Amino acid sequence: MRGSINRPPTPDAEEDRGQDLTLQEIINIKLIESGEKERLKELLRERLIECGWTDEMKALCRAFTRKKGRNNVTVDDLVHVITPKGRASVPDSVKAELLQRIRSFLVSAAL
Amino acid sequence: MSSTNHLHQRGQIPHPCSHLADFRSKHGSKPFRLLQKCLRVKPLGRAEIRRDLHEVPRCAACVASAASARPRLYACVACAVVFCHSSPESSHAAAHADSMPSGHEIAVDLDRAELFCCACRDQVYDRDFDASVVIAAAAATAVSPTAMRGGESETMPWPESLRKRRRVDYRPWMPDPRERVLVATNSSRLGGDAESNGVCSPLPWGLRGLNNLGNTCFMNSVLQALLHTPPLRNYFLSDRHNRYVCQEKRTNLGNDKNASSRSRVCLACDMDAVFCSVFSGDRTPYSPASWWQHAANLASYEQQDAHEFFISMLDGIHENVESDQRKSQNQAQAMQIVPRGSAKIASSKLHLAYNGETESMLSGQRGGISTLMGCLDRFTRPERLGSDQKFFCQDCKVRQESLKQMSIRKLPLVSCFHIKRFEHSSYRNMSRKIDRYLQFPLSLDMSPYLSSTILRSRFGNRIFTYSGDDPEGSTELSSEFELFAVVTHTGKLDAGHYVTYLRLNDQWYKCDDAWVTRVSENVVRAAQAYMMFYVQKRFHYKASEKLVTS
Repeated sequence: MRGSINRPPTPDAEEDRGQDLTLQEIINIKLIESGEKERLKELLRERLIECGWTDEMKALCRAFTRKKGRNNVTVDDLVHVITPKGRASVPDSVKAELLQRIRSFLVSAAL
Repeated sequence: MSSTNHLHQRGQIPHPCSHLADFRSKHGSKPFRLLQKCLRVKPLGRAEIRRDLHEVPRCAACVASAASARPRLYACVACAVVFCHSSPESSHAAAHADSMPSGHEIAVDLDRAELFCCACRDQVYDRDFDASVVIAAAAATAVSPTAMRGGESETMPWPESLRKRRRVDYRPWMPDPRERVLVATNSSRLGGDAESNGVCSPLPWGLRGLNNLGNTCFMNSVLQALLHTPPLRNYFLSDRHNRYVCQEKRTNLGNDKNASSRSRVCLACDMDAVFCSVFSGDRTPYSPASWWQHAANLASYEQQDAHEFFISMLDGIHENVESDQRKSQNQAQAMQIVPRGSAKIASSKLHLAYNGETESMLSGQRGGISTLMGCLDRFTRPERLGSDQKFFCQDCKVRQESLKQMSIRKLPLVSCFHIKRFEHSSYRNMSRKIDRYLQFPLSLDMSPYLSSTILRSRFGNRIFTYSGDDPEGSTELSSEFELFAVVTHTGKLDAGHYVTYLRLNDQWYKCDDAWVTRVSENVVRAAQAYMMFYVQKRFHYKASEKLVTS
């Protein structure tokens, strides 16, 4: 009974949620709530366009589609075939920049 | 919009899969309407699906959430359970669809607000759903970012650069030491007027008057514009078609086959010759005598239409490229620069020569000042076809009333707009010239007139129907054009004079047959334009053209 007196005025759902969240998820929520996640995504999109990665992926997808015939390809096939190549060919500089941005966000958010 | 239904028929928009069709026939549009309430638009205008603002969706089977990065999360449209799907190893979403009686195949991607069919393993499109996504996104961008995030205080404004897709900036090429040596040892400096005459010529390279050979200003005006069309100029100045080599080749060919092909004239050779003489540094007016033979029907001492000459030049260039057996990819591209815009009617692949059709609207009765943009707006506005012009719809198997809208499918590197300045009145049975003034911009953005833009405003972002048959075309990135030449006409229908204004180095020059003079921009703006030549902005290198003059 006493516990209820000291309870902070947060709604139940909020508290329940806090209990089983992993650190990763907490960070993710912070990123979303601050709008940083969208900014990061946009930055990433822009970098990938600049370095030609997007065009490269587009070309790979086109080549695959052409090989299989345009009516025999599903999004799933494409994701399956292209994802490993895509992950492997993201330039390190882009990864480093994103990592740096996330680090400085975490510092500023004082997590 | 009656025509939207009927676009399906041409295969431009993927057919809905049988599962989606079943789902719709069973449930109607109600599930999609419920989804609409969960649509949230993220700050940069992309939509997602969330029941409330702070929901952390996770897979019902393996509690993977969006933070665990790998799998995508999908909500079943029938029962709203969230499952993960990472192709093809593990898909709880597909397992869910299998375990349930039919009707649970359609799911929605939570982070992207896109429909997915778990049975087909493919993205599917629903018109109503996509339309509501588009409406939500449009509404969200209309209000300020703070308002759309539910009044939460926004700490950082969204930088403008993030909103717009930015292209890689143009960086001028600078030779490295090795290249510098190569350039120095292998090139001889053009003499130019400066040294030979002792007078420093203020005109940029390549400006040279063309002698009038007897009512040939129609030809001179078009030639001047062609001579300063950046891609064409670069092609010939980089020695891509050498007339001596070509001649030798043709002679050999002639020996093999018959003698008649030896005498065949080569348009590209004459182009090469005229480029050489014009860029030689000699400023005395040049006589382009050999040019007549390329427009046989116009070769007389009568006055002719510049546009007609231009079209026959284009045909000649195209033909030349096609007949060249050993054309390289690059040559083909360089030759394609010539303005052949392709316009579309509805979704049928009807290519129109832009030049002829576009500008019929200047004669339209409108108040105020006519502008080029106004003409283009008019050209691309939807037009309802009358009851006597019904299209046969393959889906409905009946003739339907339809809407016709022209748009530009792919932008050429160089666009030429031809203004219809003569009209024929059947009433008086005579033709007359339209002297009306037309305003034209120095920089033109063609994106509003593109098929992709027009379709997107109608169907939303997800349908990129044009990429399929246009492998390397990314039209959106190159919709900005710069004006580089204007051909004007003064006088009447049957007697008049053509003058070309050229924009070089951001300075305007008037080319009136043999006379080339520098003029102010206002003179050009006030001129009665007949043909306007625009080039894609990325080819309009202002900075590098300065290097050419110095």
